[in-house]
Amino acid sequence: MVKKKVAKVLSFRYKILALIFIVLAGGLVLLPKHQKQEGIKAEQLLSNVISPERYVSTDQIAHKIINQDPSFILIDVRDSISYNNYSLPNAINIPLKKLLDKDFEAYLNQNQFDVIFYSNDNFYADQAWVLCNRLGYKNLRVLKGGMNRWFTTIINPVKPNDDVAAEEFELYSTRKAASMFFGVVYPDQVAEQSDMQIAAPKKVITVQKKKKRAAEGGC
Amino acid sequence: MKELEKVKRISIASTLFILAVLIGVVTYERPKNMYTINTKSTLEKLTKNDYLASIDNIHNENVSLIDVRSQYEYEKGHLESAINMSTPEILSDDSQSILKELKEDNKTVVLYGNNPQESNIPFLLLTQLGYDNIKLLNVEISYFQNQLVTDQIAIEKPIADIKAFINESIKNSDTGIEIDNNKPAKKIIIVQKKKKKGAEGGC
Repeated sequence: MVKKKVAKVLSFRYKILALIFIVLAGGLVLLPKHQKQEGIKAEQLLSNVISPERYVSTDQIAHKIINQDPSFILIDVRDSISYNNYSLPNAINIPLKKLLDKDFEAYLNQNQFDVIFYSNDNFYADQAWVLCNRLGYKNLRVLKGGMNRWFTTIINPVKPNDDVAAEEFELYSTRKAASMFFGVVYPDQVAEQSDMQIAAPKKVITVQKKKKRAAEGGC
Repeated sequence: MKELEKVKRISIASTLFILAVLIGVVTYERPKNMYTINTKSTLEKLTKNDYLASIDNIHNENVSLIDVRSQYEYEKGHLESAINMSTPEILSDDSQSILKELKEDNKTVVLYGNNPQESNIPFLLLTQLGYDNIKLLNVEISYFQNQLVTDQIAIEKPIADIKAFINESIKNSDTGIEIDNNKPAKKIIIVQKKKKKGAEGGC
C-alpha cells in the first residue's frame, strides 16, 4: 500500500523538481532593490567624492585650450541660455536636467577623452560628476570655481600689487595673455590686434563608443 | 534496480543544488549602505531645486543642524545646536544611526559646511541613500574677530556677464576695428553607434 503511494508521488518527481527550480528562479527576479543598486557602492562613491583629484584649475584649462590639447572635452551643464550667451570654446552643452539622456551617454561614457564639467560655480558640476561617477564613468573632471573663477582669473585677472613675489607677476602676465586669446582687448595692446582676430581653430572630435568585447566561445 | 539507482542520483543531485542555492541566499552579504533611488530619480530630485534652506528657517523645532566640516573646525566655532558629522564619516555606523533616528522623528536635517559646495557632497550621497529630509544651508562661513559669521549666498549665480565684458573691452580699446566675437566654434562629433553582435555560441 505504502509502496503504491510512493510510486504515485514518484511518478510526478520530475514535475515537482521542475516546479522547485522555477520557484527558485522567481526568487532571483525578486531580489531586493536590485534595480536601484546600479553603479558603484556608496562607500566607494564617498571615497571618490572626498578626494579633490577631480578638480582642474582654470589656468590648466586655459593652457590646454590655447595649446589645442586634443585629449579633453568640455561639458557645460548650465542651461542653454547661459551656454549660448558665453561658453568656453568648443564646449558641449548638456544641461543638468538632461545629463542622463541616452543621446549624451556617448560623450560621458568613453575612454578617449577627459570629460570636464563646468557650471557657473562648481556646485552643479559636482552634482553631475557624482551621478556620472556612481555610474562608473571614467576620466571625469570638474572645473574648480567654474565660470565665475574663469572670469576672475583668466578673463579679468587682477593686477598684483607691487610688493608681491615675482611669480605673481608672471602668473598675471600669463593670464593676461590668455585673456587676449579669449577675446579680451586691452587698450595698451592694440598693436597686437591683428593676431587676435585669428579665431580658435575648429576642433573635430570623434567619440567612439566603448566597445563591449564579444562573447568568446568556450573551447 | 537500475531505475532506483537513477532516482537516487537525481534526488541527491537536486538536494545538493537546492542546498547550495539556499546557502548562497543566506550568506549573501548585503552592502551596508544601500542606495534606495537610482541616478535618474536622483537627478529629478536635484533639478526640482527645493533642497535649499535659508538661515531664517533653521530656528525651528523640526530642524536639526549638521556640521559637515572637520572636528577641528567644528570646535573652532559652529552654529547653535549643530551636530558634527564630517563628510568622510557620513557613512559610519554612528552617523547613520543618528540620521535614521532623525528621519524617524520626521525632522528636517539641514547640512552646512564652509560653503554650499562643501555640503553639497554629503547631501548628494545621503539623498541617494534615501534620506528625503535633507536640506542644504546656503551660507558661507567666515570668521570675524574669532566670531563665526554666516553670509547668505546665492548658489551658482554668475558674477559677471563675460560676453558683455569682452565686448566692452573691445569698445574701450577704441581701435575702430570690428572684431568678431569668438563664438564657440561648433564641434563636429561623430558618434559611432554600437553594433549589435550576434551571440557567439560555445561549441
